[in-house]
Amino acid sequence: MRPPHALWDSADGDGTELLPPGSRVGDWVVTGPIGAGGWSTVYAARPAGSRPGRARVALKVMPTAGLAPLQARRIVESARREVELGRGAGHPRLIGLLESFVLTSPDRPSLEGAIVLVMERAAGSLRELVDAGAHEVDRGRLVAGICEGLAHLHRSGWVHADLKPENVLLGEDRSVKLSDFGLATELTGTHGHVPPLGTLDYFPPERWRAPLGELGVRVRPTADIWALGIIIHEVFAYGGSPFPGATPMARGAAVQEYGQGRAPLRMDQAVPPFWRALTADCLAPTHEARAPHTAESLLVRIAAHREAPGAGRRGARARAAVLATALYGIAGATLSSDAVRAGPPAPPDRAGAAPPRTVQVYNAERDCRGRADRAPRCSLGLAIDPVRPYTAENVVPTRVWHGDVLGTDCQVRDGETIIDEEDRRSTRWFRVRLPSGPEPRTAWLPAVRAKERPALPECP
Amino acid sequence: MTLRLGPGEAARFGRGSTTAPVELRLDDPAISRLAGEIRVVDDHWQLTNHSTTHSYLVENPEGAGEYLRVPPRRVGAPIPFEFSRVVLPTRGDVTVSFQVFAPDHLYLDPDAMGGPWGNSTVTAYSLNETATYFLVLVALCEPRLRDQSRVAVPTTPRIVERLGGHLAGGVLTARAVSSHIDYLAEEKLRIGGPDTHEPGQGDRRNGKREEIVGLALRFGLVREEHLALLPPLTGAGGRERQAAR
Repeated sequence: MRPPHALWDSADGDGTELLPPGSRVGDWVVTGPIGAGGWSTVYAARPAGSRPGRARVALKVMPTAGLAPLQARRIVESARREVELGRGAGHPRLIGLLESFVLTSPDRPSLEGAIVLVMERAAGSLRELVDAGAHEVDRGRLVAGICEGLAHLHRSGWVHADLKPENVLLGEDRSVKLSDFGLATELTGTHGHVPPLGTLDYFPPERWRAPLGELGVRVRPTADIWALGIIIHEVFAYGGSPFPGATPMARGAAVQEYGQGRAPLRMDQAVPPFWRALTADCLAPTHEARAPHTAESLLVRIAAHREAPGAGRRGARARAAVLATALYGIAGATLSSDAVRAGPPAPPDRAGAAPPRTVQVYNAERDCRGRADRAPRCSLGLAIDPVRPYTAENVVPTRVWHGDVLGTDCQVRDGETIIDEEDRRSTRWFRVRLPSGPEPRTAWLPAVRAKERPALPECP
Repeated sequence: MTLRLGPGEAARFGRGSTTAPVELRLDDPAISRLAGEIRVVDDHWQLTNHSTTHSYLVENPEGAGEYLRVPPRRVGAPIPFEFSRVVLPTRGDVTVSFQVFAPDHLYLDPDAMGGPWGNSTVTAYSLNETATYFLVLVALCEPRLRDQSRVAVPTTPRIVERLGGHLAGGVLTARAVSSHIDYLAEEKLRIGGPDTHEPGQGDRRNGKREEIVGLALRFGLVREEHLALLPPLTGAGGRERQAAR
């Protein structure tokens, strides 16, 4: 997707006609152009009249008029993929598809029969952010967001197959939303099939020699992981590809040399050590070498890195640690918020102790604060021991979510340093009671996971 | 013999010797032990001329006489042709030559809406619509494009007949048609992978044609407008068919 300057400035008669602001498309009114892709133009739009619901949407208009039947079929096929995925795989990290329809446009013959997808509207794309430098941005959070979207797609049995910064959209709050599922394919067994299309800079080595079969080119989720590796490098290296060359073809040749073991991977020094290691795994030269690095496993590593004390300084150690928010595959009891809230005040531990107090769990991830569905990815962990490193071995099976109210009886002020997603740090930990469940009966909540600072005695 | 070179790989050519090994041996006393080197760069290749006295010619066999002259001691002259014949002079009338194919050239999609293409989604199996192999492909696809029905794919003699006299470069032999089809199947579309192909099996060859035509039409590599590249149909049968569309 790129800004449609060329189209906007000149009616050069190449068959593309841009809709002027104010044009009515179905129940929507165009407010301006956003960008143009291969066979589509995307517009900003608002509902016509007093239609209830979303005030700002994006319309993806794919004209089919005047095309040979075979070309039109490609466009219909692409729209079908988007609609199918939009129906089955809704997720906060994927751009939502609101509706789709075929346009009847008697006064604009070039748009007669165009397919229109009505989508959630984003504020911009990762490409714009990368081009602008992205200095002030929490880049780790962006990458984690892309990973969350990919993990969801792959879990749902889909491959994106055209992942690139143009297709990573950002909300007003810089929340990540993957978009453009025109090539996305549902896996049948280990593979999906896509038409012979793609973006050269994001092709894994095996794709350059891939045979064309009856159903198209075979792709696997590891192709998305490769593209993710290129994106992570671009995000940290100010838009630079890890592969040298002035053109996509030259970089593609470098990718093939690397894939055939004739050239090493040379990443930009601007990429911090933790992200270099992660990128190197995403860019493992073969499908087999890349396969262990699933989006899910990368997400766990990123979360651990972000939660790890002194993140960034102790990259090697952070890799081994596993952060609370990411451990949603874990077996064990989860804390029910109702049970906790309704639970009777716990009796004082010792005679003469202060009356029972509570802390309310606070999640620094804004997305997670607005939801009540206790999504695994929004869960937070509790430590077994606040003075030991906050790693996977030091986390109780019980999970908590934003808004949970936990009984607490004492605190330590000099535990492990915990830094949250908003860069608040604290060495303070609250000892909290767990409801009946597997041992232990108490665990430790980092103070950065709560807003209150109740007056509590020091734990013995 | 055929050498397959990936990006960054090189092959030396010449008469060769134990002290000057070459990958491609050209057995002629007039040719130096190490006569030159070709190196794959990006999507094309470069020719280095190790001779101190002779220029080498690089001809484009499909280019109606188009050629490049690479002077003595020139290092890394970029060669833009998809098909090339490298011609080395000898003492006699007969020259020594070998062919180099560069099948990875990229072409922009005709329906891409202009403007910068670097980050856009492109067709990854692009074909040179001015090449002879493309003409052969269009001729193979012609019956289905005209009738939209599952009629048989034309045989090689039918293709020779259909394209007869239409080529700028001269006549198209049955053998040439077969090698264009092989080139499409193996280098351009890479049907079924490079390792599974067994040459010389008649029925397999026919299957390959069907497959090429199916893929070219399904993925829009050949479209209705390409029929204009073919010579006009002659004979009443052909006209009737066209009129019936």
